[in-house]
This record gives sequence, structure tokens and C-alpha cells, in this order.
Amino acid sequence: MCGIIGYAGAQADRPVLEVLSNGLSRLEYRGYDSAGIAVAPEMSVYKRKGDLDVLEEQLPDAPVGALAGIGHTRWSTHGPPSDENAHPHTDCEDGVAVVHNGIIENYRELRDDLEAAGHEFDSETDTEVVPHLIEAALEQGADADSAFRQAIGRLEGSYAVAAVFRGREEVYATRRQSPLVLGVDDGCALLASDVPAFLEYTDEVVYLEDGQFATIRPSGIEVRDQRGALVDVSVETVDWDPEDAGKSGYDHYMRKEIYEQPRALRECLRGRPQPFEEAISIEELEELPRPTEVQFVACGTSYHASLYATRLFREHGVRATAFLASEYDIETVPVDEGTLVVGVTQSGETADTLRALRTANGVGARTLAVTNVVGSSAARETDHTMYIRAGPEIGVAATKTFVSQQVALAMLSSALTGDCSREFVESLRALPDQIQSILDGSRAEEIAEEYVHADAYFFIGRGYATPVALEGALKMKEITYRHAEGFAAGELKHGPLALVTERTPVFALVTGDSNTERMLGNVKEVEARGAPVVAVTDDPGLIEAHAEHVLRVPETHWRFFPILANVQLQLLAYWVAHRLGRSIDKPRNLAKSVTVE
Amino acid sequence: MSEYSAIVLAAGEGTRLRPLTQNRPKPMLPAATKPILEHVFDQLIDAGISKFVVVVGYRCDRVQSYFGSTYRNVPITYVTQKKQLGTGHAVLAAESEVDDTCLVINGDQIVDSRIVADTIARHDSAAAATIALLQRPNVEPYGGVRIGEDDVATEIVENPRDGYGYYLNAGVYMLEPAAFDAVRSAEPSFGEHHLFEGLSKLIDSGETVRGTVSEGLWVDATYPWDLLDVSFELFDRGVVTSSPVISGRETTVHDEAIIRDPIILDQDCAIGPDAVVGPYVCLGENTTVGANAVLERSVVDDDTTIGANATVVDCVTGTGVEIGPGSTIPGGPGDVRVGDTVYEDEALGAVLADRVTDRGGVTYVPGALVGPETEIQSGATIRGTLAGGTEVRS
Repeated sequence: MCGIIGYAGAQADRPVLEVLSNGLSRLEYRGYDSAGIAVAPEMSVYKRKGDLDVLEEQLPDAPVGALAGIGHTRWSTHGPPSDENAHPHTDCEDGVAVVHNGIIENYRELRDDLEAAGHEFDSETDTEVVPHLIEAALEQGADADSAFRQAIGRLEGSYAVAAVFRGREEVYATRRQSPLVLGVDDGCALLASDVPAFLEYTDEVVYLEDGQFATIRPSGIEVRDQRGALVDVSVETVDWDPEDAGKSGYDHYMRKEIYEQPRALRECLRGRPQPFEEAISIEELEELPRPTEVQFVACGTSYHASLYATRLFREHGVRATAFLASEYDIETVPVDEGTLVVGVTQSGETADTLRALRTANGVGARTLAVTNVVGSSAARETDHTMYIRAGPEIGVAATKTFVSQQVALAMLSSALTGDCSREFVESLRALPDQIQSILDGSRAEEIAEEYVHADAYFFIGRGYATPVALEGALKMKEITYRHAEGFAAGELKHGPLALVTERTPVFALVTGDSNTERMLGNVKEVEARGAPVVAVTDDPGLIEAHAEHVLRVPETHWRFFPILANVQLQLLAYWVAHRLGRSIDKPRNLAKSVTVE
Repeated sequence: MSEYSAIVLAAGEGTRLRPLTQNRPKPMLPAATKPILEHVFDQLIDAGISKFVVVVGYRCDRVQSYFGSTYRNVPITYVTQKKQLGTGHAVLAAESEVDDTCLVINGDQIVDSRIVADTIARHDSAAAATIALLQRPNVEPYGGVRIGEDDVATEIVENPRDGYGYYLNAGVYMLEPAAFDAVRSAEPSFGEHHLFEGLSKLIDSGETVRGTVSEGLWVDATYPWDLLDVSFELFDRGVVTSSPVISGRETTVHDEAIIRDPIILDQDCAIGPDAVVGPYVCLGENTTVGANAVLERSVVDDDTTIGANATVVDCVTGTGVEIGPGSTIPGGPGDVRVGDTVYEDEALGAVLADRVTDRGGVTYVPGALVGPETEIQSGATIRGTLAGGTEVRS
């Protein structure tokens, strides 16, 4: 899981090093344990363990006279973070430099062959075989282009690769199952793992397909297929606003993104609920028939959104199951022509989810991607796509995309089953303002202050609220590095209750539905163990007597209560992490979009 | 195209606009269907400003999350003024973000781009500051400036009692570094630094402060009901154009609904059958007007629902308001009470702050002012001023 960038353009317009290091700073969310840059035609390589600031200290201030360059930000998969393991990697003579995102599965054999032929390796990475393969081909007399193609032809696995050569003013690139997008502008061309990396320079993009090869030069881009024939590519204009890559005066992207939720949700809802027809219409899914069964495949926060959605589908009379994508195994999951496999992935590049979707495609199941990123791999590889329209999310901890996923999936369940009511539509349309009212008046900061030194944090819910209890705990873990667990409240007495003490606050999601009585019983169980209870509720009357604190949310359709309750839990995790001085936008060991399995 | 930056003052609550400012500062209140501040930005861009430095304070989240880091490709830098200690204090907070000469403008009044452009054009570095002025009959509620030969300002005051001979201070300034220094060294009055005091001090010390008389749109809302006139003036001046039905993408207007121009609809509005909407109606994003409802001369903010058969005239709503089925806001004139003062015969049906909910069949006596989150049971009659968070039974 890494990010790559490439640039070719005249020095007079934009210094190559500046473009590359700006791009890397926009890709940092993909990994940030080491970073590096290589520029040509006079080959120079700069790379360092640590974050981008460490690399930037090493870069020369003076212009380097380069016309082409590549950059990389790394999240370790093969070999620990170190200067040697940082990309770009070079061949024995420093004649070619390569950056790579993905995993080369056969690198061990390739490396053995190359070492036997006398090549010397500096790093423990899988990537380093690529420059040596290119070098070997060059030695056989191949030109740069065919040497690059020959080397790539030897690789098995997933990759987006870019290379520069000594003495050449262009960047060579290709991809297979890892994202790579090209950007075009007058007098320069760019490539990157995703669009925001170069959005400040151009919004004209070309999505490279699997197996295609691209050469980028100051004069433009050239795309060829596997056999070397020129491909007539279509240039698309991205309508993201580069503003979305800025923090807009907030201390953290996470806080900005939490506060953007009303707006993100308005975009998600735009045109979908039909107030006078009491129906939900999802334009891009009009051709999708009612499934007999729905299987969700997702990871992390998206999995929690999927769990929430399964309940909605079941309630609408459709069998539904949520699978952790990494555990989705078609040999054990029966699929027939009525089955819809829904991949829920914010980035559309989550490797585990893509693999599960490919497995489903392989056995002929109908597939649907629910994603935030237009043109992402998930969107391109599935039969249908529904966009959650949350806008770019930079903070590693998903916030606004989770709320948009929940709402998108709620709409999906209604649109596919035709099960809708006036109350459902009106409650959906009320959500953006209800979230705004939580943001306007939340007491989460003071409650976070009180429990900042707790031993652990527990989150309990029932029914629709259970996935949000899990999500509340995940958010807390991710950004505070403290122990947190979410449980179905009924499970407490089957084990986890042993963990509950007066130093473990329990956050109880309590809503006024049929579960309330039983939920109160669970709250009393923890109360009896001396644990402080914080109730998140739309009806304080029931729970107030048993809770130290109440975090209120507005009354809504009981199916949507968890959507609102989640906002309070986001704020709670944020303020605990803030108080602990954590790296909120880039928690240790985590990356935004997980492009390795 | 000038290369000037503008310091935009958007930190103050605007207490006289309570209860609408409970959750957001005055610059974020609606004029037609956009925040006042968005109109200010539009006019600044038309005048050629290339960078915004926005001073935020009260409920700054609302400003930052709405605009983000750029507006129409103009970069925005936010400066936080933790305590609102006057306009001078706010300008000093932003000083390090601007170059030597810069524009300063109030973010809570809509000012024509022409006034801004005139001020920039008239300013030269021989003057420490240039102030935009307007000829207006009633200057007393605002700031006043007297000018002498060669447009040199001789006196700058707030609320001139003897209004005669004063031009209105339009709240648009070009400032040189000397003006910042003067603001810095001016004695605070009651703990606050005001821009006009700093400029007075400049005049006293013999520096040139110039006034430039301009003309064009200039609107300010002092009290909640003024938001109606501000929006209507934007219609009359053509700043917002009435193009119902197609104006908001994804907006649904029932075939049987009757639309009377001018009206403006934002995105995701829904207007039900036989509803009569207009003239002079602004519907914010995601608002719903039920069947047979009548809506006239009103500014309705985002996410508000107007129930079937309701009548709403001369009304300002906040966000997320629910006017129940059959409720009646018959319209002004009415007496409005703010604190100890009664404003008589204002053309106001009602002001309903954020998330006021009525359950239907409620009657509003003209001039009613209802605080946020108030819940009104069906059949109640509302008169006078109600605090926020209350529950009203019939």
C-alpha cells in the first residue's frame, strides 16, 4: 500500500522536485513510513525512512535541471521501513530508477535468477527486481521502451510501476490491479496513484486500464496496449474542487470532515428521495433487478456500514449477509443468478474487497460497487456502481464517508425492494440538519475530557445500533491507540462483562424502539459493576437515571438512530485523541486506502 | 485585475439578529438562498480581489465547513479571533496574512462590487487609508464620515446623532501599513479596538485618510426581519434572478403548483400540488412545501418543511424548521419586541429560529419571534417573543 507520482515537463514551467514533493504530500494518506524521488535525465535519487519532511530536508534547494521524475510514499509490506527499502529502487549502475505500488508475487525466483547472473541488491523489497530486470534487458540490447515491457512481462502479482532512465526525458509506466491515473496539461504530463496527487496542476485525466503501458513526456502522453499498438484514450475532466485537499482552517482533516457531514449527506441524498411519490430512485441503478439475496463484502468501517445494511434488507424481506472481504471465499458461499454481491469501499481500491468482487464476478454473480471514487477499480470492475458522493476524505479515520455509506445503503435497500414510506423519505431528508444540530450542540468534548484516562472504552448497542457500537470502538482504537471494544449489548453477559470495571466507561446506544427495555437491562448490568455509563440517546427520559452523562441526538425514524448516534461517537473519539495529542489524521501503522490484501 | 488581498471580517455574532444567530454568525444568515458572506465573496471577486483572509470567531465551524479552502478558485485563509474585541482587533489578527496594501471589508453586509472597485481605484499610497462612502438619507444607525477638499476625511464617527453632512461609511477600506500601526496604538475603548478609532487617530496625527463617494447596492440587516428586505432588494436589483423550477437541480415542482415570480429555489426543493408559492419567496436547499400551502414574501432556510394547507407570509425561518399542516402566519404589520424595545408596525409575520417545530394548526400573531428548538403543540396561538428550547401547549 503505497502512493506513486510521476511528472515530465520543462523546468522553466514548474520545478520537477516541487511537483513531485507536492504530489507526495497529497498521497501521504496511502502510507508514510518512507518516501523518495528520482529525477532524470541526469539520474539523481533522494530517499529516506520517515515522513515527507525528512525527505524534503534532503532535497537540493537549487533547480536540478530535471525534465522527468518519479516519487513514492511507502507503507511497508516487504522489509521494514529503512533508507534502503524506500523507493525509488535502482539497478546496479543507477541507470534506471523504479517506483512501485502493489506486490510482486514471484520476486523471490526473479531475485535468485538475477543474483545468479551477478546483480547486486541493496534492499529487501520485492520492487528492486524490476530495475535489475530492466538493466538485464538493456544489456541484451533492448531500447528503454522494450526493456521496460520485457521486465514487466516477467512479473506476477499486482502492480502500478513507473520508471525513469538516465539520459531520457520521459517516464514509463504500467499497471495491473493497482491504481494508476494520468494527467495531461500544456507542456507537461503527470501520473499518480490517484487524482488528488496532481489535481492542483490539472483536472484532465486518463484512467489507465489494466495491462496498458503509458509514456509521459513534456509534450504529452502516449498509451499503448500489451502488444504495443497505440490506444485512443479518452480524456476525462475531474470536477473535484482542489479546495477539498485543504484543511480550511481546522486543526485536523478529521474534524473538518466531521463538520462537513451535513453537506456530504445532502450530496448523497441529492435527487434520490422522492418526497411526493414516497419512493427512492437511484438513477444509476435503474437497470438493477430486485435480488433474491444480497452478499456484502467490505473491510473495516465499510464492513460496519454493510452490517447495518444487512438488517435493512432483511427487514425488507431479502436475505442479506455481510462478509469481511478478506474472509469471503466463494467455495463456501453459495451464489446463484439472483444473488447480488455488493462491494462497499470508500476508495474503490481496497485490495481485499476488489479480490472478493473479482471472485464473485468469476462465478457469474451480479456485482455492485458502493464507492466514493469515480473511476476507481471497484467502479470499473463491477456490473453496477452506486456513488456515495461524500467528496474526498483525507483523514485516515473514515467519518463522512461512513455516514454517507449508511445513508446510501439505506436508500439502496429501499430502492431495490420497493419498500418505502412517507416517513422513511421525510426522515432521510431531515438527516443533514439533524446532524448539523448535533454538531452545533454536542457535549462530547467535555465527556471526552472526563474519561481521557480510562483503562478501556466499551460500546454497546442492539439491533440497528450494534454496527455503530462496533464502529464507535474502531474509531476510538484507530485514533487514540487506547483499548476499545464494541459489543451487541446482549453478548455482554456471555463474557465481556468480566472486563467491565469502574475504570471502563460504557457508551450505550439507547433508542426508543422495541429493544429499549432489554437495553436498559444491559445498562443496569454494567452499572452494577460500577462502570460509568454514557448514554447516546434520542429519548433521555428512559435512561437518564442510570447514566452519568447523556449525549443527545434528535428524534428520527428508529432505523436512522444509529446514523445520528455515530456522530456523537466520532466527536468523542476525536476529542479523546486530541487530548492525548495523537496524530489524528495519520494514526501510526495505518493508511487510508489499503491496497494490499 | 488587482492583485489585492481582502481581509473579510466575519467573526461577530450579530446579537441584534438573535435568535437566528444561535448557531451561526450573521455572515452565514441567508440573503435569498445563499449566506450573506457568499454574496460578499462574489462581489469581491467581481472587483478583482485575488485572495481572501477571513477573520472568524463566533461559531467559526459554520464558516469554515461551508466555504472550505477556496471559493470560486480564490484561496481562503482563516484567522481566528478568539474574543471579539472589535473590528480593529480583528484586522490586526489578520495583518500577518496580507501584503502591505490590502482591502478590508465587513463580511456581514452586501456591498456592490462597484463600490469595492471604486475604492481600490481611488486609493494611492499617498493616503494611509481610503474609505468607501455612500450618500444615504439616514446615516445614524451606521458609521458616518465627513470629507473636505480633495475628498480628504476630516471626521470618522459611529452613529452620528446630527446626521447632517455625514456620508455613510460603507465598511470597505483600503489600508496601508501606517493604518495598521494607528489601529494598534489607538487606546481601546471599553476593552475593544475599533477600526474607525484607529482611522480617527490617523487623521488626528496628520496622515491623509481619503473618502471616496460611490454608489451601488449596499444592504445590511440589523434585525431579523430585515433579512426579508435584504433578499427582496437582491431580487429588485437583479443580483439574484428569479428562474423558478429550473433554478435548482433536482428540484421538484408539482404540475398543479402555482409559482408567482419572483421566487428562487435552491437544490432538492419539493413543492406539492396546488401550493401557491410567491411572489418574493426564497426557498433554501432541501425545503418542502406541502400541498395547498400558500407562501408569500418569505425567506425559508435549508431543510425546512412547510406543511399542507399552511399559510406563510412575511416570514423568516432558520434551518430545519417544521411549520405544521394548517398553521397560519398571516403576515405583518405587527409589533416586535426585542429586549425592552418595541418596534411597531414592522412588516413581519414571524421569525422562526433553527428547528422550531409546530405540530399543525398553530396561529402566529404578526411580529412573533420564536427561539430555536421550540416545540409548539397543535392548535396553539403564538404571540410576542418566545425563548429557545421551550415547549408550548395549546
